Amino acid sequence: MSVLTRPVERAAAPAPPAPSQRRRLNRGYGFVIGALAPALVLHLIFIVSPYAQAFYLSLTDWNGVAGKANFVGFDNFARLAGDSLFLDAIKNNLLLLLLMPAATIGIGLFLATMIQRGGANGRSGVKGARFYEIVFFFPQMLSVAIVAVLWGFAYNPNNGLINGVLRAIGLDGLARSWLAEPGLALFAVMAVMIWSGVGFYMVLFSAAIDAIPKEIFEAALIDGSTGWTTFRRITLPLLRDNVQVAFVYLGMVALDAFALVQIMTVGPGGPDGSTEVMGLSLYRTAFEYGKFGYASAMGVALFFGTLVFALVALRGNKNRTELA
Amino acid sequence: MSSHEISRRSMLRAAAVLGLSVPTLAACVTAGGNAGQQSQGGDKSSTNPFGVKADAPLEVVVFKGAYGDDYVIAAEAVYKKQFGGSVIDHKGIQKVGDTLRPRFVAGNPPDVVNNTGAGRLDIAALTQSQQLENLDKLLDSPSWDDPNVKVRDTLLPGVIEDGTYDGSFVRFNYAYTAWGLWYSKPLFEKNGWMWPQTWPEMLELCEDIKKTGVAPWTYQGKFPEYMTDPLLVMAVHGGGMDLLKAIDNLQPNAWRHESVKAAAEAIAELSGKGYLMPGSEALSHTEAQAAWCQGKAAIIPSGSWLEAEQKSVTPAGFDMVMGAVPSLSSSSKLKTNAIHAASSEAYLVPSQGKNVQGGLEFLRMLFSRNAMKDFAKAVGTLPSVKGATEGITMSPALSSVAEAVKKAGDDTINYRHRIWYPTLTKAVDDAVAELVTRRITPAEWVDRVQKAADDLAKDTSIKKYERK
Amino acid sequence: MKRFPLHIALGFWAIVTAFPLLWAVTSSVKSDTEILSSPWTVPERPRWENFGRAWNEASIGQYFLNSVIVVGGALFLTMLLGGIAAYTLARYRFPGNRFVYYLFVTSQFFPTFLALVPLFFTVEQMGLLGTKLGLILVYATFATPFTIFFLHAFFRTLPSAIAEAAFIDGCTHWGVFFRVMLPMARPGLVSVAIFNFLGLWNQYLLPLVLNPDPENYVLAQGLAALSTSQGYQSDWSGLFAGLTIAMLPVLLAYVCFQRYIQAGATAGAVK
Repeated sequence: MSVLTRPVERAAAPAPPAPSQRRRLNRGYGFVIGALAPALVLHLIFIVSPYAQAFYLSLTDWNGVAGKANFVGFDNFARLAGDSLFLDAIKNNLLLLLLMPAATIGIGLFLATMIQRGGANGRSGVKGARFYEIVFFFPQMLSVAIVAVLWGFAYNPNNGLINGVLRAIGLDGLARSWLAEPGLALFAVMAVMIWSGVGFYMVLFSAAIDAIPKEIFEAALIDGSTGWTTFRRITLPLLRDNVQVAFVYLGMVALDAFALVQIMTVGPGGPDGSTEVMGLSLYRTAFEYGKFGYASAMGVALFFGTLVFALVALRGNKNRTELA
Repeated sequence: MSSHEISRRSMLRAAAVLGLSVPTLAACVTAGGNAGQQSQGGDKSSTNPFGVKADAPLEVVVFKGAYGDDYVIAAEAVYKKQFGGSVIDHKGIQKVGDTLRPRFVAGNPPDVVNNTGAGRLDIAALTQSQQLENLDKLLDSPSWDDPNVKVRDTLLPGVIEDGTYDGSFVRFNYAYTAWGLWYSKPLFEKNGWMWPQTWPEMLELCEDIKKTGVAPWTYQGKFPEYMTDPLLVMAVHGGGMDLLKAIDNLQPNAWRHESVKAAAEAIAELSGKGYLMPGSEALSHTEAQAAWCQGKAAIIPSGSWLEAEQKSVTPAGFDMVMGAVPSLSSSSKLKTNAIHAASSEAYLVPSQGKNVQGGLEFLRMLFSRNAMKDFAKAVGTLPSVKGATEGITMSPALSSVAEAVKKAGDDTINYRHRIWYPTLTKAVDDAVAELVTRRITPAEWVDRVQKAADDLAKDTSIKKYERK
Repeated sequence: MKRFPLHIALGFWAIVTAFPLLWAVTSSVKSDTEILSSPWTVPERPRWENFGRAWNEASIGQYFLNSVIVVGGALFLTMLLGGIAAYTLARYRFPGNRFVYYLFVTSQFFPTFLALVPLFFTVEQMGLLGTKLGLILVYATFATPFTIFFLHAFFRTLPSAIAEAAFIDGCTHWGVFFRVMLPMARPGLVSVAIFNFLGLWNQYLLPLVLNPDPENYVLAQGLAALSTSQGYQSDWSGLFAGLTIAMLPVLLAYVCFQRYIQAGATAGAVK
């Protein structure tokens, strides 16, 4: 952060010989303004102003009709607290937040360790590592909407892929209406999130493990550490920052989950609210019910949820950095 | 992470501060203004009931979707013939709302609008801000085809109600949609199955169908509203139009009427007896309808758009037709042929248009029998005036729909609460999905839906409507 | 053979990952009936016509073109505006520098959903709703904060000697940026461009809300609409062909340029 006060060029940078000092200064500022203005104007119009207005709208009963936004104070938030569907949404987002990042990171770490440390002597990469990495990374290349359409078909109870596989290997008894059973639907959605996320974090962790000096692992091997102890004592602590970043990013994905739910699930958001997420509630309230004030209140709630999560997740980092 | 990076934490802290302090910066999206002027009308006469000024220009903006706009252009030719000096500005567009909303705000709307399709205008909101002309005078004017019959009396049941917002008739719907249960006519004929009139007969039929190895019913489980429809129709069959009114008006305990519960029990019975195709509860409309077209199930609930929707996957000779939802018992308050039907393709006349009289007169021509016949022939959809399909060749599907509408007559069921209160609609549909999969009992279903209706009635933030 | 269990684990996940994709690609050359009977049916003959139908009748071609225009336009705009803003913020001292920087980069951490409603009305009131231009501007604006965040760090690390020499040779500020700094920042530009491309190409929420006109649908949005919207004619094999059209070019490009693309895609997380 300190570097911000130590810029490389100054506004009055060395300039062509002729002009006076003052003129050069002006030209420098002229450039700065010209360079920043277009991005800044767009940023103010499409980002700063909408975000700011969302807070204001959340305190009104606006329904989209021009000139008719009445200030209602915190009524929308009081209503949110009693909106059983929105409470379902919070519950589901929290459940996703609790399980999805952990599962994704777990599988990602496991695969990364296998690839990086799984070579013949436990020191080097496994054969075909590159191939695995490429394949694991595929889902990251696909739009979440396309992933949702694909898995929507895969979950079809009658001619979908999942039940097809189960029936083919004789597990007919396990075939289910994956997206239509309230106890399963959210987990079916979560499985897709994990499926599409693992490869990305595996590549990330794999690169991080690769960057750990080989001598550390050598030493551990000489000490007679088993694979698991090496992982727990060496790999994991050294990957702590990466895991934390992964957790923050995946947490934000878990608090969203809109596209998968909106495209794949029954209702959408069903059956019976079992896959409802905050983004879906907001979208429906705004663009189907036309209750823009109330929808904005949902957005504000989602914002504070994200903020609290991020602060909690990053707080840990601060403590550890101080210790280190 | 390199040392000269700004930490995520400090960035987030700054984000929070920004988020909390900028609202005052905001330019406001909720603002708007109003201005407008109108042309003076001409003299009224029996052939010019609204007193249209012959030389006043007319601007017609229509949604150009699946139905096209040729029938509108044909009607415009009639208008030009009648008012020689007039110039008609015709626009066939999509996303009507996005194009016209700013013009309404600026007080400069066109004279006639067909408000249909994605991104259309919010009619309730326009009515509230008095932007739409009350079309009562059009209803009471002589019809184009027969000056002795008022426009009002040429319409199919429900059209006036569908177009009435806050007690004023502002929306004139052109097309007519009917809902029912669909089956393949040849399949039924081959097996000697007759379309049932009562629910016990339906259950007998299902038993027969099941014996042939075909699932009697399937439904569009991903969108449970398809199953809500037969349930509500059966309920109103038993409870009559008074029950419909009570439900629409959110009267206390309206959903506790015995015939509502009986209808819920009937629907639950379908799955209880194993008459639903397994897996239906997870299928989208396309998946369920495709299974039905493939003969994996015999009956499916849907509306009159089904034929068009299934065009590319319907096998030759499938000949789908629509049957009315059977009544629960013989003591039904409505005819056994009662169906759910409603009108769509909304025509509006904006109050601030420059030629309101011309707009009204144009609609009088557009809703004539000839224009309607053209429409039915061209797009294969039922129009909203009586007898418009007489004498034209129709597909088995469309003629079964026309027949069903005719048989139902005034016993046409059209519930309003599903349009007025989308949150209640969602609560009902979610509960129906649970009912059909037998995760809740019919009694629990009634409790849930009644509670949702009560909660809505108590909620002062939602505007309430009343069905007279 | 000691490594055998390891390959089982890795191989298992490779199959879990690749199999659904293979299944979609296989289904794209089946007939509707074959798709609807069982996932294991082998197509009687490959039906390439599914692709023609998807491309023309199901408008996948149109959606693809829309995506190319919108993403291409937005990518160009965000690289240009974001690049120059990042450079200015990284290398010029002026009052408010830090404020402007934070104003840009903090917005990455706000959920898009919060802005959704006012953004919709802002775009609508500017008459840009459902237009490609509107989508390009919004995409570019939403991609700019990360672009600045990433390139800011990059520009700081570049040596100043060459820039100073260029100034002495009479180069203007713009000249220095375009002729000296931009070429030097190339590796960073490539990474961030790939990151932005993937992010924008795969957008769903913004077009869903800001792009209601089916003629202007982008690819992901169009495919989702084909599978969920009611009233469309059902065409299974066409939909799978559409999915394949949406997936294969991206996956092929990935396989060819995997190192770059992995580096670009993970750019956000390794910072």
